[in-house]
Amino acid sequence: MSRMVDPNLTPEDAALLIQEFGLDQPIWMQYLYYLKNFFTGHFGFSFHYGQPVVQIIGDRLPNTIMLFTTSIILSALVGIFLGKIASWNKGKKMDTSLTLGALVTHTLFLPWLALILIWVFAYKMGWFPITGMISDEVWIDPEIGLWTKGLDILHHMVLPLATLFLIHFGSYLLIMRSSMLDTLKEDYILTGRAKGLPEKVIRNHHAAPNAALPVVTSVGLSLAFSINGGALTETVFTWPGIGRELVFSVSHNDYPLAQASFLLIAIVVLLSNLVVDILYAYLDPRIRY
Amino acid sequence: MTTADTGIELSERLQWMNRLIEGWSIYKKNLLGKIGIILLVLFALMALCSFIPPLLDPMYQPMAGVDPEISTATGPSTRHWLGTDFMGRDILSQLLTGARIAFMVGVSAAFMSVFLGTAIGMIAGYVGKFMDTLLMRLADMIMVMPALLVLLMLAALFGQLSIWFIVFFIALFRWPGVSRVIRAQTLSLKHRPFIEAAKVAGASNLRIIFRHIMPNVLPLSFLYMTFQVTSAIIIEAALAFLGFGDPGTVSWGMMLQWVWKTGHMFRAPYWLLPPGICISLITLSFYMLGRAMDEVLDPRLRKEGETD
Amino acid sequence: MALLVVDNLSVGYQGQKGYLQALEGISFSLEAGKSLGFVGESGCGKTTLGMAVMRLMPSNGFIRNGRIIFDGEDLLEKTDEEMRRIRWQKIAMIFQSAMNALNPVHRVCNQIVEAIVTHSPLIDKKEAYEQVRDLFQLVGLPENRIRDYPHQYSGGMKQRAIIAMALACNPQLIIADEPTTALDVIVQDQILDEIKNIQTELNISVIYISHDISIVADVCHHIGVMYAGQLVEYGAREEVFNNPMHPYTRALLSSYPTLTGEKSHLMPIPGEAPNLINPPSGCRFSDRCAEARETCRRNHSVWLELAPTHKVLCHQCGKNCGQ
Repeated sequence: MSRMVDPNLTPEDAALLIQEFGLDQPIWMQYLYYLKNFFTGHFGFSFHYGQPVVQIIGDRLPNTIMLFTTSIILSALVGIFLGKIASWNKGKKMDTSLTLGALVTHTLFLPWLALILIWVFAYKMGWFPITGMISDEVWIDPEIGLWTKGLDILHHMVLPLATLFLIHFGSYLLIMRSSMLDTLKEDYILTGRAKGLPEKVIRNHHAAPNAALPVVTSVGLSLAFSINGGALTETVFTWPGIGRELVFSVSHNDYPLAQASFLLIAIVVLLSNLVVDILYAYLDPRIRY
Repeated sequence: MTTADTGIELSERLQWMNRLIEGWSIYKKNLLGKIGIILLVLFALMALCSFIPPLLDPMYQPMAGVDPEISTATGPSTRHWLGTDFMGRDILSQLLTGARIAFMVGVSAAFMSVFLGTAIGMIAGYVGKFMDTLLMRLADMIMVMPALLVLLMLAALFGQLSIWFIVFFIALFRWPGVSRVIRAQTLSLKHRPFIEAAKVAGASNLRIIFRHIMPNVLPLSFLYMTFQVTSAIIIEAALAFLGFGDPGTVSWGMMLQWVWKTGHMFRAPYWLLPPGICISLITLSFYMLGRAMDEVLDPRLRKEGETD
Repeated sequence: MALLVVDNLSVGYQGQKGYLQALEGISFSLEAGKSLGFVGESGCGKTTLGMAVMRLMPSNGFIRNGRIIFDGEDLLEKTDEEMRRIRWQKIAMIFQSAMNALNPVHRVCNQIVEAIVTHSPLIDKKEAYEQVRDLFQLVGLPENRIRDYPHQYSGGMKQRAIIAMALACNPQLIIADEPTTALDVIVQDQILDEIKNIQTELNISVIYISHDISIVADVCHHIGVMYAGQLVEYGAREEVFNNPMHPYTRALLSSYPTLTGEKSHLMPIPGEAPNLINPPSGCRFSDRCAEARETCRRNHSVWLELAPTHKVLCHQCGKNCGQ
């Protein structure tokens, strides 16, 4: 195991690392140490920050959740809404342009899109800040209230949110669109028409709730992919979240921090999957009862 | 070989050829598919041309070539059609090399993951029971993991990653998606008469899987290969962008990393734009290819009137 | 005055391979409070007929010519909005596959309330709910299952719920398209009784569509036999059942076993129904008919009136139909 340590470390650091992680001990012992540390919440000290790892990732977690959750909810809702509209107008201009738009945006390379957005809207237009979650002056000043601080954070959040949103809404749109087209062929839609219901009611009240179910499933399936995107976005925008921390710690060989960040991300992914499953069960009565 | 076996094989082969011909004629009608193929051919040409510039002049070497007269980022000129990067290296030759790397990474990783996924999917679907549950649980666990981040952790452990290591691990993460679909297909094929006939003729399980099920499942595998190529290219590009790619290869992601890390992203659009456009376009074209193939394979998707 | 008069109705579908003539020259009338059954094999156009009366044709379906006069007004002249108000309020439908006719994500009661509220917008939700309770009682569904979801119901229960929903706005006419096909015989029997009771109690006209002539003969006052998009025989139940004239009707009746009487041979009808994209110019049944002559194959069949209420579309009948 000690052979796997990065050869770029200085001998002292390497020795420290080996000792801290018990890398010179037999494998099974190392595993026991690992488990003990893990369950006692002893994640060690960050090499780089010199602070307990738990503290650092505790700080970062809310920021990631804020950005990540908002982006997923926003792209899912807008994707569902636009996909619905695209299916109603199948074959017409609205549909072709929405579908094409979805296709193009969701194949864009995320970090590149992020850079382009920064270049155009932050650098050239100056509408948004280039990096970070909150301006230093605003953060430090004790006299500025929570409301202003919140607004400032939102101001910083626009571009990263836009990036994540643009990349993700396309696939939800496409799935909703084809799901609606399938749902509209179902027997209960014919019943609705026979009942004399107006088209709008049929589409919104009867078709859409059924058509949205596969989209929810798809959100769950693509969570791993979304987290990748989240980490990339945080890195480019220097948004102080766990994804960025992971990338940062890996490039600085900060093993304790890297390990903890990774673990936390894995937990976030698992929990999100759980949330999506629960949401699906709530939306589909066939599962609930 | 029993007569039942040969008979089945012959009719299957004829079926296959028929379907190939029919498939092509449907594919041709699809606009997206045509655009996709055209773009891919362009990229393939780019990849092939990547060998040309260094032969013309050593200064066009993507990694090591340095223009004796230029040592900073400059805009497009007659000598350097896309300009130079911060070290004076030619951007166009980097772009062309990137195309080559993209194909290499994409196709290899896709091929490996589809190979694995198809084999595992067929076995799980056909054998069923314990093996099936075991394999699918494994697939589930792998599918939930964010590939990029795991690769990051591996980069932390091993230091620099070589390109083939990256390709191999991408394949390792992407096979579950393929295997699920192939398994479903296998399950539906399992009970068809021609399989029953083969069993009666005394064919062993392995033979049935590879001689009879596989040819019917391959078109689906090919379809998924196109999707796998795109995700492989993106993962490699993202990894390179973050600085964890193979330092010896010039991929588009690597190019973006250089623009970003050297702070040129606002000053050098000729450097920032091409690699990103290329990654996005190649992803788009493989996706279009996949969609068109999907229409060929799934008759329900074909845009033929509203006959019900 | 007849409640529904259909006059020379022709309907078709535009498909990939051509124009399919699903119905041609259909004419019949239905009195208020009476029931009429349409029988025929799959593809004869009976479902299309039901859909056409309610103007629920899919986007590739066209009503070529004819009139559908309901309660004195031609439905084919109505605008979409007017039709929307007529649907369910005046004419309701019970569908072929009740299995999927209810929306899985909404409770059964809400779906029925929706029907009520759409056509009586001023009604109070509570009152509508009360009406649903009454309807459930009428069709024999337990009250404690009102708030369930469709997937919690059995096949028979779903069918009853559909019937309840069809009655929700007190329509004058109900079109029942194979309502019992997917059910087992015992439930089938119950549902049929249900329909008969409702029909007499509430004095609703019913058009019953089925491939099973024995069911239709049980429930309906009049029977119309359909073949290849045409009405080939039409008459009162007793007339058609006891004295079938058209060769197809006779073949249909003899292909069903009877529980009583002596054992007779079952005779399936040889051949297949004609292609409706290019229908034959003569009688459409001629190539399967045992009595076919040259005239049958060449000339268009005409209506022959055997009795004031019994008519048949055939060249041979009337002169001497083999017995």
